[in-house]
Amino acid sequence: MIQVKNLQKEFRIHQARAGLGGAFRDLFSREYKTVKAVNDLSFTVEEGEMFALIGENGAGKSTTIKMLTGILTPSEGEIVINGYVPFKQREEYVRSIGVVFGQRSQLWWDLSPMESFRLLKSVYKVDGTEGDKWLDRLIEELEINSFVSQPVRKLSLGQRMRCEVAASLIHKPRLLFLDEPTVGLDVLVKQKIREFLRNLNETENMTILLTTHDVSDIEALCKRVLVMDKGKLIFDGLLSDLKEKWGNGTEVSFQMKKRTPADELRKTLGEMPCEISQVNEYTISVKVPQSQEMLPFVLSTVMSTFEVSDVKIMETSTEDIVRNIYQVDTGVRGHA
Amino acid sequence: MHKLYMELIRMRFLTMLAYRVNYYSGIIIYAINIGAYYFLWGAIYGGQQQLGGLSVEQMTSYVAIAWMSRAFYFNNIDTEIAQDVREGKVAIEMIRPYNYLSVKTAQAFGEGIFRFLFFAGPGIFLISLIIPFHFPATATGWGLYLISLMFAFLINTQINLLTGLFTFFLFRNDGMMRAKRVVVDLMSGLVLPISFFPGWAQTVMGFLPFQAVNYYPSLIFTGAITPGRSWELIGFQAIWMVVILVPILILWRMARNRLVVQGG
Amino acid sequence: MQNVKHIFGIFADYLGQYFKTRLAYRADFLGDFVSNLISELINLVFIIVVFTHVPLMKEWTRDEIIFIYGFFLVPYALFSMFFGFWDFNERYIIRGEMDRILTRPIHNLAQVCLESIAPDRIFGVITGLIIMGYAAFQLDLTFYWYDLFIFIGLVISGALIYGGVYTAIAAVSFFSDSRTGIAPMIYNIQQYGRYPVDVYNKAIRFVLTYVLPFAFVGIYPAAYFLRKEVWYTYAALTPVVAVIFFGIGLLVWNWGVTKYRGAGS
Repeated sequence: MIQVKNLQKEFRIHQARAGLGGAFRDLFSREYKTVKAVNDLSFTVEEGEMFALIGENGAGKSTTIKMLTGILTPSEGEIVINGYVPFKQREEYVRSIGVVFGQRSQLWWDLSPMESFRLLKSVYKVDGTEGDKWLDRLIEELEINSFVSQPVRKLSLGQRMRCEVAASLIHKPRLLFLDEPTVGLDVLVKQKIREFLRNLNETENMTILLTTHDVSDIEALCKRVLVMDKGKLIFDGLLSDLKEKWGNGTEVSFQMKKRTPADELRKTLGEMPCEISQVNEYTISVKVPQSQEMLPFVLSTVMSTFEVSDVKIMETSTEDIVRNIYQVDTGVRGHA
Repeated sequence: MHKLYMELIRMRFLTMLAYRVNYYSGIIIYAINIGAYYFLWGAIYGGQQQLGGLSVEQMTSYVAIAWMSRAFYFNNIDTEIAQDVREGKVAIEMIRPYNYLSVKTAQAFGEGIFRFLFFAGPGIFLISLIIPFHFPATATGWGLYLISLMFAFLINTQINLLTGLFTFFLFRNDGMMRAKRVVVDLMSGLVLPISFFPGWAQTVMGFLPFQAVNYYPSLIFTGAITPGRSWELIGFQAIWMVVILVPILILWRMARNRLVVQGG
Repeated sequence: MQNVKHIFGIFADYLGQYFKTRLAYRADFLGDFVSNLISELINLVFIIVVFTHVPLMKEWTRDEIIFIYGFFLVPYALFSMFFGFWDFNERYIIRGEMDRILTRPIHNLAQVCLESIAPDRIFGVITGLIIMGYAAFQLDLTFYWYDLFIFIGLVISGALIYGGVYTAIAAVSFFSDSRTGIAPMIYNIQQYGRYPVDVYNKAIRFVLTYVLPFAFVGIYPAAYFLRKEVWYTYAALTPVVAVIFFGIGLLVWNWGVTKYRGAGS
């Protein structure tokens, strides 16, 4: 369904000279730097897959999505989606995709989401009764019925985001792009949206591509992950592989009732391959490598041996994973 | 505080230098505007030597200086304030340790100086290659003009502040701001020296501050009036400046109390 | 046929959105109407006041100049209705709304026009016709039945010229990363096209005829109705200029879209 080959996007960025004098010189001649936002990207996606594109800010995720949706023209390389070349056949291609921009709205700010839905139905030539039924289903599953007739400017971020998702799906696209959709949302709303997307993928076989900073988004939704860094694709595979190979595992922070030195914990856990460090006199953190059994074992052992007042569990972050990929995998050449 | 304002002015300079397209097209636009008006007025005068109290030569320098003055006193802070209100940024501005209005004025000042020197300056230079302009020969002439210009800037900026403040209460008043811009251009004396207007209109406009914005300084510049009269006009400008300050302060206080922020 | 129906449908929908949005902010209907009227009449004041001092401007009388002004208001009103995206740079480039436009299956320029549609500008047509009518009466002009069609043609051409010029200027925003577009600067220049072009020197005349052909929206077509035969060829060229400049506008725009960088990260 999606075929990307050797995709490149370069930007020529004007380097502003410093100070007032420099600014005057810039009037006459400018200095430019060429930045490769996307560098030789290739991957293939089958229909019905749900996958995530992750990486730090500036890694090239948004630029990639913009090229996939036809907003940006690639400098080099090929993209074929659903038989279309996005930037060449944009208006036809776009009928088959839906896009949710986390940071920008598709809805008319002054009107209710319902009005926007009506207009979009017209724009996308959505068929009468079928379209209505589909929209009703969207409204129901996203639970937006209670506020879908209120002006958008009066909605909370969580409410608005759900309406944005609905708006992007009105024409029942075969492919859905979501660019950072869960930024700023609270846990409950995130869950609702994730469940909805999962359901959509299962019942309608919709291909879904998600970019995000939030590893838990991916955990909940995608099996397949593409990791980008500095414009390059540094990992393309299953999430479980990603975490096993390059995750730091999990870090558990125990807050004890009594002062406890780290050595005591070490004694209890014996030969367990985990990193123990003393955060302060009452708090010890244990880094547990990725494994199904180790985490519960560590938890139960420590908590049965010591009097624990609080436990904090921290997952590996995307930055950690990316960092690890560079450190561990000598086959991937990162930045010079 | 002084440092803050210098810094603001410097920032405006940098901002205006940053966009080459705007800069170069700005110069050309100035040249075209001045040139076109010069010819227009040439055609209007026809064979006549004097109209509305100005000779042909004085008229041409009036045209040139009217546009140069506008380059200095013109600013968009009314729309900028309106935008701040609409986007809710104004709430943040309120809690900053400076006076929002003075900051806006300083920004406008920076913009004005830049435009005067680097837009209108080159623009006039370009067009003077084709058109002979007459500039005052004496230092007093220039001195009086510059003093008057400074007042003109303050008055125009105050008018803009006032318009911008209305956004607190009216929200979408960009229609009003558009109309105001056109009205000010007419009543300030930019497109027509006030002396051209029929007597009754001149009396009415005597009660409005607009002619102090362009007509007074331009008149002083052309040398069509005596230095004594020039000082009189400057006096009027000073009075207007004080008068307009009052509603500004009142509205500002009201606005702070009634901070209804739109959006967000 | 299906397509045409669809186009009308979309147009009606966007118009509907416009009205619903306006009604959501009740305050400004009257305000906008009044300010438009004021903006239109201010220029008239200039003409009237000037002519209280002189009888002629280069052999053109006051009523002739007024007629030209009235004429100009009509294509300008049409143009303002459909190409009202004065804040294009701020809204679509800086705030990145162009992204949304590009992901919808309608031509992007058409969408921008539809989203900025300003049907209240139609009153400018009425103002223009009234002013023209007054001047025509004063000048005792005669009209023939076919003049109506010529008028409509010239008006549409004028609107297209404006549309083409301002589309190209808005498209400049795709190339430059400026904070403000340059459209407001050009605004003043369009009025020079309403005066007899032979007033200006060669350079400015050239600009107003071939570069920013505002003369084709004011003096040249109006000269036809004023029966100034020496300008007839120019008047006849108006539709040609319209097609050329609208074409240029479209070309520059489409080229600009490929240079669009997207907003934000």
